[in-house]
Amino acid sequence: MAGRWSGGGGGGEVVGSIYSVLALVLILVACVELGDAATAVDVYRLIQYDLSGAPYGSRLAGLNHHAGAAPFAPGADLSRTVVILPVRELNLTFLQEYITSKQPLGGLLLLLPQDIRHKSGGGNKSRNVGLLRSILSELEQLLIHVNLPYPVYFAYEDDKINAVLADVRRGDATGQPATATTGGYKLVVSTPEPRKASSPTITNIQGWLPGLVGDGTTQLPTIAVVASYDTFGAAPALSVGSDSNGSGVVALLEIARLFSRLYSSPKTRGRYNLLFGLTSGGPYNYNGTMKWLRSFDQRLRESIEYAICLNSVGSWNNELWLHVSKPPENVYIKQVYESFSEVAKELGVTVGIKHKKINISNPRVAWEHEQFSRVRVTAVTLSELSVAPELLQSTGGLYDTRHIVDDTAIHRSVKLVAESLARHIYGYEGKNIQIFADNSSLAVNPSYVKSWLDLLSRTPRVAPFLSKNDPIILALKKELSDHTDEVHLQHESIDGMFSFYDSTRATLNIYQVASVTFDLLLLLALGSYLILLFSFLVITTRGLDDLINMFRRPPSRKAKAA
Amino acid sequence: MTVFHFFNCAILTFGPHAVYYSATPLSEYDTIGTSVKAAVVYLGTTLVKLICLATFLKVPENDSFDPYQELLKALIGFIDVAGLYFALTQLMHRNISQNHKFQAVGLGWAFADSVLHRLAPLWVGARGLEFTWEYIFQGIEANANLVLNLSLAALGSLMWLRKNKPRTLIPIIYACAGVLATMPSITSYLRRALGWHPPKVVAFELASSLVMAFISWQLFSACQRPSV
Repeated sequence: MAGRWSGGGGGGEVVGSIYSVLALVLILVACVELGDAATAVDVYRLIQYDLSGAPYGSRLAGLNHHAGAAPFAPGADLSRTVVILPVRELNLTFLQEYITSKQPLGGLLLLLPQDIRHKSGGGNKSRNVGLLRSILSELEQLLIHVNLPYPVYFAYEDDKINAVLADVRRGDATGQPATATTGGYKLVVSTPEPRKASSPTITNIQGWLPGLVGDGTTQLPTIAVVASYDTFGAAPALSVGSDSNGSGVVALLEIARLFSRLYSSPKTRGRYNLLFGLTSGGPYNYNGTMKWLRSFDQRLRESIEYAICLNSVGSWNNELWLHVSKPPENVYIKQVYESFSEVAKELGVTVGIKHKKINISNPRVAWEHEQFSRVRVTAVTLSELSVAPELLQSTGGLYDTRHIVDDTAIHRSVKLVAESLARHIYGYEGKNIQIFADNSSLAVNPSYVKSWLDLLSRTPRVAPFLSKNDPIILALKKELSDHTDEVHLQHESIDGMFSFYDSTRATLNIYQVASVTFDLLLLLALGSYLILLFSFLVITTRGLDDLINMFRRPPSRKAKAA
Repeated sequence: MTVFHFFNCAILTFGPHAVYYSATPLSEYDTIGTSVKAAVVYLGTTLVKLICLATFLKVPENDSFDPYQELLKALIGFIDVAGLYFALTQLMHRNISQNHKFQAVGLGWAFADSVLHRLAPLWVGARGLEFTWEYIFQGIEANANLVLNLSLAALGSLMWLRKNKPRTLIPIIYACAGVLATMPSITSYLRRALGWHPPKVVAFELASSLVMAFISWQLFSACQRPSV
């Protein structure tokens, strides 16, 4: 047959030129990049960070494996399988077992339910939502504190991915788990190797409302209102932290707005300076707050009468906690607490007080006010949390989205803080005078609170991934400068303990693939088809003898040669 | 694995042409030159066709079936017949029999068609990870197309090269050639206006091509008989 192909001089040349043209075309076309995925899904990678050199989180980003779904046969090899786990029906013990026994996985794709992103309407869902909240926070704590040598991604459930999951489950139910030979779905994330974020910065924003300098006195006392604005969570690109600490930031902005109206007229300007601080680095032992305080000069630091830190004030019912590190009997603490509880009583809520001593030798700083206490400034933290969170806990993770925050809770927090501050500033303690009464010109503005809360709930704010001039930082700066004076940004670097890796979000391509066996069978079928076609054509055009001769010829040649 | 799939689809798309060439006496008489010339004529014809399509056809806004436009397209499709006429009658061929000539021309024609219309999509699509039946169907379509082109070339050679054919058969030959030439328009109509799914369309193409090939074969042998 080969002889027939190249037989004839002129024909051979033509064939040769055709081949070269074909080869050229093929080379040209081979340069075309392929990007034809059936389904592309936005995915968010589990955080990858080093804590004093020890690796944590998902250590890989690139993914190219078949999809699998629970339940798996015990002892199944999943080292080449991307396990898809819907968080809604997550079996935490299964995951824990897998992680603690350090079994290799091809990858992990966790599907987050849509309703944590959107406000759910039905009231009967609240029990489910509570359950979901506990599962998500447990999952988050589990994933943050382990070293996973494979890529871990989060994605939101949607129709496309649910269809894929159902298909994968059906495939798993009928046969063995999907591998390269049985087809199924292939999940591909092509992303470069994650790189260490070079010298992550944290940015503190501060603004002043200067008080009215009366005759004789030159130095006015200062009251600081502080909230940390950045977040930390299992998925940095999803850590919007609506409650921790978006609610605190919104409350601070609203308080700044209210007092700027009071301070705009000399008649109502108080004899206190007000200092507003939006600090970063909150999840990392309030590193930014520490740097911010260190940048103050001695005189300023001493002029601060007390500081109120706002932390998670957006989802409480009727009890807030005042966390202090000095004993409650302390004069200043007592005064602050009394003014708070007085206003709280009028609002129909209670404010409890919790005392937690600080330990200078322990690097862990659980509350923002502890940084103030360390430099001997009286400070309190107002929070709905009754116990001090652990490191990287309650820092605005997966579950902390817009839907868990209650606008009215923020209104009441704002009113509580603003009212007690105003009574202190204007010396109305013990008198029942509502300065920020509803329906007055100084009322809390619900739409202002809502719009800022919505913006913050859309913006992930993990400090190492925020640049110095990130839009959200500039927006906060602009907002603060609308209401206060001398606004400035302070850029600092995070202290050495933490280092972070980039590529926090990617696109997952889902391909439906055929198995190798299918292609082998296809090849077999095609081969027999071509052979049949060949035989048929030879028989019809030249006769059966010719076909038989074709197979006889080689041995006869050998016989001739011999 | 995906290169494997590409390889399979390529075998299905281009294999039959090679098999046809090597299995039939075409290879013995070394008619590749004729096939290549036919392919070049096909290239030229396609260019002319493209220019005509671009000149006379509106760009369709949607994927709907517009009878007037389709009629125009079918008319432009007859340029193919003109090209085939040129390839069969005007080209300088080596002294080969009519019998082999039409086969060589039909084969070159079909192969050029396959390369031009199917190679690039195959290369881009079948190498991707995503599996679809599309390229397998496309390969089967190429097979049907080969049969169709061979039939058309056979009828063409009957029409233009054969002088002494039975008078009664002439209208049938012309009718069959007309049907063959409009076959692309018919499949396009089935696909677009009736919304047939690819498996059905491909099955229809395969069946119709085989039927037409049988008819053409009968006609050809009927014309052959008096001379034998």
